[in-house]
Amino acid sequence: MSDQPRVKRIWQQDERTLGINWTDGRKSLYDVVELRRQCRCAHCVDEISKKRTLNPDDVPESIRPIKIESVGRYALTIQFTDGHRTGIYAFEKLRDIG
Amino acid sequence: MSFLKKIQEKFSGGREELKVPAEMKKEVPLIKTPVRAPAAQATPPKSGALDRVKHLIAVGSGKGGVGKSTVALNLAMSLAVEGHKVGIVDADIHGPSLQQMTNAQKPTMNEDELMEPPEYEGVKLMSVAMFSPPGQAQLMRGPMVTQVIRQFLTQVNWGELDYLIIDLPPGTGDIHLTLAQMVPLTGAILVTTPQEVSLLDVRKAVHMFQTVNVPILGVVENMSYFVCDSCDKKHFIFQQGGGKKLAAECGAPLLAELPIDPRVAESGDAGRAFVVSNPSSIVGQAYLDMAKKMQVQQHALQRSSDGALGYFLLEWKQNV
Repeated sequence: MSDQPRVKRIWQQDERTLGINWTDGRKSLYDVVELRRQCRCAHCVDEISKKRTLNPDDVPESIRPIKIESVGRYALTIQFTDGHRTGIYAFEKLRDIG
Repeated sequence: MSFLKKIQEKFSGGREELKVPAEMKKEVPLIKTPVRAPAAQATPPKSGALDRVKHLIAVGSGKGGVGKSTVALNLAMSLAVEGHKVGIVDADIHGPSLQQMTNAQKPTMNEDELMEPPEYEGVKLMSVAMFSPPGQAQLMRGPMVTQVIRQFLTQVNWGELDYLIIDLPPGTGDIHLTLAQMVPLTGAILVTTPQEVSLLDVRKAVHMFQTVNVPILGVVENMSYFVCDSCDKKHFIFQQGGGKKLAAECGAPLLAELPIDPRVAESGDAGRAFVVSNPSSIVGQAYLDMAKKMQVQQHALQRSSDGALGYFLLEWKQNV
């Protein structure tokens, strides 16, 4: 029976840092501006070539989430202040980068 | 007007409707339904219709024709026999069979604009077949189908349930992804027939569930063998051992090996669940046992989940 580590607690650490405690005891901190730059959605990454179409410099330092919400039991999604809301951040990926 | 009301009206139109594909009809702007990006599908039920549903169990396969609906219905009934409160939703929009298998009536609409699902032997049911005459196809593209699934989960008065069983369609497409993103499924049960060609498709479903982190609660091998009425020999019509093999591959228990019994199909056609009409038969006993084994697995999973959050929503505070 396979069950990946999932979110045990999620909180806003400070103005631009997201904190997650995972079910396996690990703690991760994420810079929300960096999360926006790392977005893997079809608007930000070409679906065929997998190349990033989003220019990281186009993401202002002032960008922030509005809300962060779970997606099923494998991911979360973030609605940003620039209106971007299509990114799905799989827990597996988040653990790779956090 | 709720979306389901609209399709209800559309479906009640009768045979003339067939002449024009639904998407070309002016008065029902089906395809104008905004095509939402995946993130939008992640929005959880707002109506709270699922608030009092403890466990959502998907019954899937990837493959068609292996008996998903029969297994799903008999699983639901077996759980109900044990005293659980159970509902079952037919998520196979293009090939719904639950209504025929239970002779279920059309749902009614209550004052809160929620659909009251009909019941079969105390189990609540919902299927798109309840809204259309038999033989009428659902001419819908992905986004529309997705909407119907959302309605079935959020606009139906499911009330308090221990289990809501979701009878998945074959494949690994829109409906599966919508469900996996929209609700935290407790787990999935895979149905297969014994032969390798069947496993080919079912392995894809295994991969899908692993990708979206839905635990596999067990494997059910259907049509395992046939015992004819003049000899006691087991005839392995579709090869042997596929269910066992798949269970080992995905690290889940084999919940049942169900022999072919023509009375199962007869029951389904007549609108009766086999475990209800023939509880003491070999297949009936196997269904009851299957439900028990599934719960053992589900409880073990619950213990190992270490307080994982199901649904969560974090509102970000600006200018902290």
